[in-house]
Amino acid sequence: MNRKCLVYGFWSVTLALFVASVAMLFLYTPIEKTMGPVQKIFYLHLPIAINTFLACFVVFIASIGYLWQRKMWWDDLAFAAGKVAVLYCSVVLLTGMIWGKSAWGSWWTWSPRLTFSLVLWLLFVVYLMIRPSIDSPQRRAMISAVYGIVAFIDVPFVYLSVKLLPDIHPASIALAPAMKLTVLVWFLPITLLALGLLRAGYLLNRQIRTESQRNQNMVFESAPPASPTPMEELA
Amino acid sequence: MNRTLRQIGLLIQKDLRIEARGRQTIGLVIVLGILIIVVLGMGLGAGRPVSGFGATSILWVTYLFGGVLCFEKTMAVERFDDALAGLLIAPIDRGVIYASKLITNLLLIIGLALVVTPVAMTLFRFDLSEHPLAFFIVMSLGVTGFTAVGTLFSAAVSSTRLQGGLLAMLVFPLSLPVVIMSTQLMRKVFEEGVPLTSTDVATLCAFDMIFLIVSWLVFELVLEP
Repeated sequence: MNRKCLVYGFWSVTLALFVASVAMLFLYTPIEKTMGPVQKIFYLHLPIAINTFLACFVVFIASIGYLWQRKMWWDDLAFAAGKVAVLYCSVVLLTGMIWGKSAWGSWWTWSPRLTFSLVLWLLFVVYLMIRPSIDSPQRRAMISAVYGIVAFIDVPFVYLSVKLLPDIHPASIALAPAMKLTVLVWFLPITLLALGLLRAGYLLNRQIRTESQRNQNMVFESAPPASPTPMEELA
Repeated sequence: MNRTLRQIGLLIQKDLRIEARGRQTIGLVIVLGILIIVVLGMGLGAGRPVSGFGATSILWVTYLFGGVLCFEKTMAVERFDDALAGLLIAPIDRGVIYASKLITNLLLIIGLALVVTPVAMTLFRFDLSEHPLAFFIVMSLGVTGFTAVGTLFSAAVSSTRLQGGLLAMLVFPLSLPVVIMSTQLMRKVFEEGVPLTSTDVATLCAFDMIFLIVSWLVFELVLEP
């Protein structure tokens, strides 16, 4: 009961913070002069991008944890973090494209940061896609863990490689104090949502694993006893 | 050290002997490479000369698909008649197995490149004469990084039911940085005329070193009979 209250409380706080952040975005934050109202997408874009990296980092840590301890809960955690990373990275790509359409007149440009987000998204989409192709749970966890580690190590190289592309993305954005405050406030609901999704995904993965183990045990228990061998019959 | 080198040499010899007897992999990847070049040639417009930068992109497509086929085949021979189980109980380090598979794969990709690159140069009229050394360095380092990752995951997926498709799915995204880096370096060299710097080469070397070390460390975990 207490745990249920805590969960409801957590989601209520997250929702309230979302409502407050949206209200702040439209009622308090000034409209940027050059880009106009579209610039407001930035307050969502930046916190989600940073949370994407955090989710990728959780995949990396949980993958190391699995290879170190061979406990399946590490794999469940890595899988849940992988889902959050892909979801958040998809939002980063979409918000980036909307920004790009308004700023540069095109939905997509091969700018380093857009390409970086796309490659990061591909890396972790593949992480989710390969899992159903592997039947054995242990083998699946092991291949996913190795992939999770190599994919995370790949990230700095993706960054270095895309830096060679011609850049039109702003390197840094000068923000008024009210705008900075809005960005900071947006970090709260976005991070809480990531944590909530991570926890929900992890618990769901645990439940699926427990169910499948229970089903396997039931199959073994319901199997008919082996018929006695001729030697046993003689005895 | 000598013992390790001798073990690596013996394993490479074994793989190459199997390949020489069957000639399945190298023949297959060369034909596949030429097919890809012909298809790309038709798609990009036959008879039009292509710059060195374009050459890198076209050759990368060939090396990526041919490479995946090489990785798959070199690991598949170990699955036949449970040869891998014999290899695993032999008194050799798993790192030695990784090194031998890596070198075998590299030799096969070099074999592919030796045939496919001149064919592509003839069909597309590639002009690499301005910076042949830069082209050679960038492509060699790029292919080494790609092979390091590919060899690791070929061992990991060889016992799963979706071998070929799964291996390509795993290796292509992980190799994207090296593909992007080499194509962009070639753009700089051939289109902008900027010479290849030591930083560029060092970055590619760092990629290769990190992936070689990580793959060597985790290879033991992924190798199962």
